[in-house]
Amino acid sequence: MNNNQKETKSNPKKGKTLPAEKSIKDAVLNIFKKALADNIVDAVLIPAKVPDTDAYSWILLQDESLFDIADPLPPVMNVQGGRALSSFSKNGELDLKIAALMRPCEVRAAVELLKLHQVDLDNVTLVSIDCPGAMPLRDYMNDPKKINDSFKKISEQWEISESLRPACQNCHRFSLMDGTGSDLHIGLLGENKKVTLISNSSTGRDVMDKLGFEPKDSLDKWKATKEKLVKEKSKKRESFLKEWQEKIKKTDGFFNELNKCINCHNCMNACPICYCQQCYFDSQTINFKPETYLQKSKEKGALRFPLNTLLFHVGRMSHMVLSCVACGACEDACPVSVPVGRLFSMVGDQTQKEFDYIPGLNREDALPLQDFKKDEFCEVETPNECEEKVTEEAK
Amino acid sequence: MAKAIKISKNVQEGLFDFLKSLLEKEKISGVFTLKKMDDNGAVSYSLITSPDEFKNAVPLYPFMPVNAGKALSSFTLLGKTEEPIVAVLRPCELRAFVELVKRAQGDIENFLIISPTCGGVLSLNLMGDKNQDKMVSQYWISVKNAEISPDTRETCQFCENFLPLNADITVGTLGNKNLDKEFTLFLNSPKGEEFAKEASGSSVSEEIETKEINELKKKREELREKYFKETGKEGEGLKSLINTFASCLGCHGCSHVCPICYCTLCEFDSKTHEYQAASLSSDLKKKGGLKVPTGNLLFHIGRMTHMAVSCVSCGMCSDVCPVNIPVATVFSKVGSSLQEEFKYFPGKDIEEPAPQGTYKEDEFMKIGEQ
Repeated sequence: MNNNQKETKSNPKKGKTLPAEKSIKDAVLNIFKKALADNIVDAVLIPAKVPDTDAYSWILLQDESLFDIADPLPPVMNVQGGRALSSFSKNGELDLKIAALMRPCEVRAAVELLKLHQVDLDNVTLVSIDCPGAMPLRDYMNDPKKINDSFKKISEQWEISESLRPACQNCHRFSLMDGTGSDLHIGLLGENKKVTLISNSSTGRDVMDKLGFEPKDSLDKWKATKEKLVKEKSKKRESFLKEWQEKIKKTDGFFNELNKCINCHNCMNACPICYCQQCYFDSQTINFKPETYLQKSKEKGALRFPLNTLLFHVGRMSHMVLSCVACGACEDACPVSVPVGRLFSMVGDQTQKEFDYIPGLNREDALPLQDFKKDEFCEVETPNECEEKVTEEAK
Repeated sequence: MAKAIKISKNVQEGLFDFLKSLLEKEKISGVFTLKKMDDNGAVSYSLITSPDEFKNAVPLYPFMPVNAGKALSSFTLLGKTEEPIVAVLRPCELRAFVELVKRAQGDIENFLIISPTCGGVLSLNLMGDKNQDKMVSQYWISVKNAEISPDTRETCQFCENFLPLNADITVGTLGNKNLDKEFTLFLNSPKGEEFAKEASGSSVSEEIETKEINELKKKREELREKYFKETGKEGEGLKSLINTFASCLGCHGCSHVCPICYCTLCEFDSKTHEYQAASLSSDLKKKGGLKVPTGNLLFHIGRMTHMAVSCVSCGMCSDVCPVNIPVATVFSKVGSSLQEEFKYFPGKDIEEPAPQGTYKEDEFMKIGEQ
């Protein structure tokens, strides 16, 4: 367990159940409409459909009429929410109060970006929502109507459908977790024609008070349904991890998955965690003279172009995988269907376990790489001393 | 009539044997060409130096995983290759390489350039498809008949510049009904003639621009007009532009794979274009809402002003777009009218400077000064 973890974990017992007679979408939007109308926030960050097109995007809105195009749970994740939030809040001071509605993985990304100083959350109320997953971007763009219809069905029934993005099929963190990620959470599970607003921080509680929503309704039904689904999806995730660990057991197995990679770096540019202005692998650092490349080719018989295609993935992985929130944005952006999200999510899972770290869970948990512990990984660094220590402890 | 040799073999096999013999006889140090990565359909460009590794080479395989001009630029960015290399690339890739050489982003010296009369390439999202082999066979039938293959990129379908410029050797493929049995290598330079001595063929004199090729050109021109008309409705101004790029993620994949976009750090990825939180209050007051991340449209317009005059219409940008924006068709459309204004043909003449590099006092008098 991380030492820096403070006793700030909230474990909400009660929430506010709100009616959703017309639709879930309407009920969710009403919360934000009220917050804006009552001047509790100055602007709302929410997914929206671009008028006259099939495209979804993020909108930061102040004008109430723009709620008409807002959609709390669109069928696709266009830009990762953490990335969207960072794009306008990382430079200078954010002097507006903003409520941001995001999927849980987007909230986790925002929390990681907070630790990386790439987002300003001081004036932001992060609102997460029970997430049924999202559909692959390319599928949606190929046939928006069909994908919209099947997403509607999937999200109503909370089905772990194979037509969801692979990241979403294997996601067990689709709801509020026992941590300090979001300020508010909107529960959709368990209740019929109702949504449940749950505060998860003092900021969240404050907003609820101002909204006049006293948390006095039971969360039992939501919790029970959620936990049942978590269990089911965890099982699915375990089998995914097992399957992929087997698949890439040998180094070749891992690299073969990247045979199709064309080195476009879309994965990195869609990744919420990859925030570097200029990626090391796009820099001039690794340029060599032609004779060096020829030499490299002669050593192996052939040299793949673009250069460093595999190094890029391994390098990027070592840079960000501890913070990988398994959102799948990378895989969605890949033009040649490399299962890059699954690869990163699987490696991330194992690495994060080694560090006992869950990215985006708690704002207070230090990033593992910033948190040096002398006796960490002694079994790799100083195996002899480590052994002594372990036997001593055993005594 | 052009100097040529006729080789009595299947075109893919014949070219393979020719390249392999150049490598084995050490006439060259390496072959830059497409190589099979696995049995699942993945191909990638490779600099092959060992005859053993050459067994996986597939020189004319109809995929463009990266614009080879860009790849050759990364190879020769810091200077020319001292040892001779053969590069097999498509006409638009060669044009891109020439544009990059003009911009001091590569060196074409010591390359023997081989390029086919080009039937186009299949869209990249078909790489690894379960029907890949079938589509590739279909593709070759279209090539033989000088027809437009339906699985090829949109830009390939309407490409009129499918005969290579600046190649030492042109491989004749389009419209040759006997491609399975024989094909022609056109020798365009003394260097080409010299190396072609290693190919086991008989000297002939043939015309590249056959009746079939001219008919194909016409068909492609018609398609071009059609696609240009359908993409970006004129007269709708900004709205059409906004709608065309509405789903853009801002991943900048289009710029990353564009052979002409060679900047190490794109202006639009730099600090200069990052949003300042302090602008939020006034922006929201003015507009009521902001599409975030901001600046996606500006990126496309900006990139266009930077590179469209050199756009070779290779189609890489459309192929990598995760949300199916017809980037290449838009850029090709704008590029071609811009190129016409400047009387500039990107990739044609290595000595001719790019328009931005040449100021002419009396240029565009009609829109600027009197």
